[in-house]
Amino acid sequence: MTAKKVAANAAAVLVALFFAFPTYWMVTTALKPRADLLSSDFDLIPSTVVFTNFSTAWSKPGFLSSLTNSLLVSLSAVAAALVVGLLAAVALARMRFRGRKGFLLMMLVAQMAPFEALLIPMFLMMRDLDLLDRLPSLILIYFAVTLPFCAWTLRGFVNGIPAELEEAAMVDGCGRWGAFRRVTLPLLGPGLVATSVFAFITAWNEFLFALVLIRDQNKQTLPVWLSGFQSAFGTDWGGTMAASALFTVPVLVFFLIVQRKMVAGGTAGAVKG
Amino acid sequence: MTAVKTTTDAVPAGVPTPPARRRAATGGAPRRRAGALDRALPHLLLAPAVIGILWLIGFPVLSVLFTSFRKLDLGELVRGEIVWTGLDNYAEVLGDSEFWTITLRTVVFTAVVVGVSVLAGLLIALLMKQLHPVVRIVLQIAMLLAWAMPQLAATTVYQWMFDQQFGILNKTLVKIGFESFAGYSWFTTGTSTLSVIGLLIVWQAIPFLAFSLYAGVIGVPKDLYEAAGIDGASPVQTFRAVTWPELKPLLLMVTFLSMLWDFKVFTQVWVFKQGGPDGGSTTLPVLQYLKGISQSHFGVAAAVSVLMVLILGALTFQYVRRLIRSQEGVL
Repeated sequence: MTAKKVAANAAAVLVALFFAFPTYWMVTTALKPRADLLSSDFDLIPSTVVFTNFSTAWSKPGFLSSLTNSLLVSLSAVAAALVVGLLAAVALARMRFRGRKGFLLMMLVAQMAPFEALLIPMFLMMRDLDLLDRLPSLILIYFAVTLPFCAWTLRGFVNGIPAELEEAAMVDGCGRWGAFRRVTLPLLGPGLVATSVFAFITAWNEFLFALVLIRDQNKQTLPVWLSGFQSAFGTDWGGTMAASALFTVPVLVFFLIVQRKMVAGGTAGAVKG
Repeated sequence: MTAVKTTTDAVPAGVPTPPARRRAATGGAPRRRAGALDRALPHLLLAPAVIGILWLIGFPVLSVLFTSFRKLDLGELVRGEIVWTGLDNYAEVLGDSEFWTITLRTVVFTAVVVGVSVLAGLLIALLMKQLHPVVRIVLQIAMLLAWAMPQLAATTVYQWMFDQQFGILNKTLVKIGFESFAGYSWFTTGTSTLSVIGLLIVWQAIPFLAFSLYAGVIGVPKDLYEAAGIDGASPVQTFRAVTWPELKPLLLMVTFLSMLWDFKVFTQVWVFKQGGPDGGSTTLPVLQYLKGISQSHFGVAAAVSVLMVLILGALTFQYVRRLIRSQEGVL
């Protein structure tokens, strides 16, 4: 029995190494001096640590502008999808009206459908709107991609908050808006954060539409900029890995935020009881 | 369905506020308008979402269908001409043997990636249950790192690890005695290229699958296992009689989602070799890009898009039906 446990734990450590290694390799490569990278030595652990790769990546033409563009596009799209999605979620979770089922089905299908298949009409549409090579095109598309997911997920979170709480607030003299703002919205905090993080990651990752709709180098987003690293860096793998690490940081930070907020959500839930 | 409906019916947020109270709180809206507003409220709340979806999803869906029946190359696009060609685009695509090769390749690629990642996810989920808490947290953090890495960052890291000259993989293989891997290129054929891409996708897909399935595994009622233990069931029997039936709906769900996600992969395939070498790693989403964006045959590319959705629909038809039926209750 114990031998079995040991074997299971040992296997798990190997699996963990498999998953963690690329991240480890990205970070250590980014910390190695250039000469160490272009050698045939077997060097799992860096012998010298330098930070020059990060400054190289940071000061490469296009890095800062594409980072700003990515942040701008992702944050605006997610903010819009979150607000619009929340309005729809409240209606779908709390109210009865004709066509409610149809809307729900529409959200479900829109969320699963392969958006990539709309590449051609999207390109033509953005061309007609004169939005090619302009960031609003990406904001609109990321808004559309994340909206059904936001509405669907937030609806689940709203459903999880007893409507009786809002009613109690209204009995105590709150208007419907007041009840929503003072009771439901605070309880919805963790759900809003979790939803926005996953929506943000979707937008932050998106490559196909960013590649097709934006050709102007100053308007590129980070994924497209990074995909052109062969031209930007040559064989500078240290710089490439440093740029990849910088690209990863916001997502990791957001993941950490979700976890903290989830714990906070758990304690906020205690008020209900 | 009825259960859910009645509970929500019991608390209709639409009706119960006494108008006088609300007036006191919102600063005096006339009584008769409040009634009309109440009735219109759900539609007002939904309006932005519906307009957004109709404009940015509904309209393009119609547009891709119409475009697939048009001859639309750069000339027609610039002149703004509308030239209907009936089924010519479809005939062109379906008559090209290359299309069928690519379709078969995409389907096989999707099947292998989905199969491997779901199976590995299930095994890891079952393994996680057996672990010492510290080891489990280490494993979960390691998987979180893989999950959180942006696709483009992960792709460049894999390119570096599989680099011909200085990649750590070739260095390791040489170190442990496989001298022939010095300077070995992993990207000389379509199959080997897709294998590396498949590994990358599986590596990033497993964490979600393992976490979801682990949640399912620990959700299996303990007394079922106790009962199986009392009846003297072997671990294999316990898995088949207890874990499997409890896990099956979840397993179907994540398999279905994986199929949707892995079928339409473009980013990694494109960034590695742009569908090369010699078109050997071109999948349907890459074909759509090549036809439409690289060669400006928008009509033909739209036909590829439609066919792509139809193929994906055919592959997942059973799941979609089941899923919509199971969601009826929630709706």
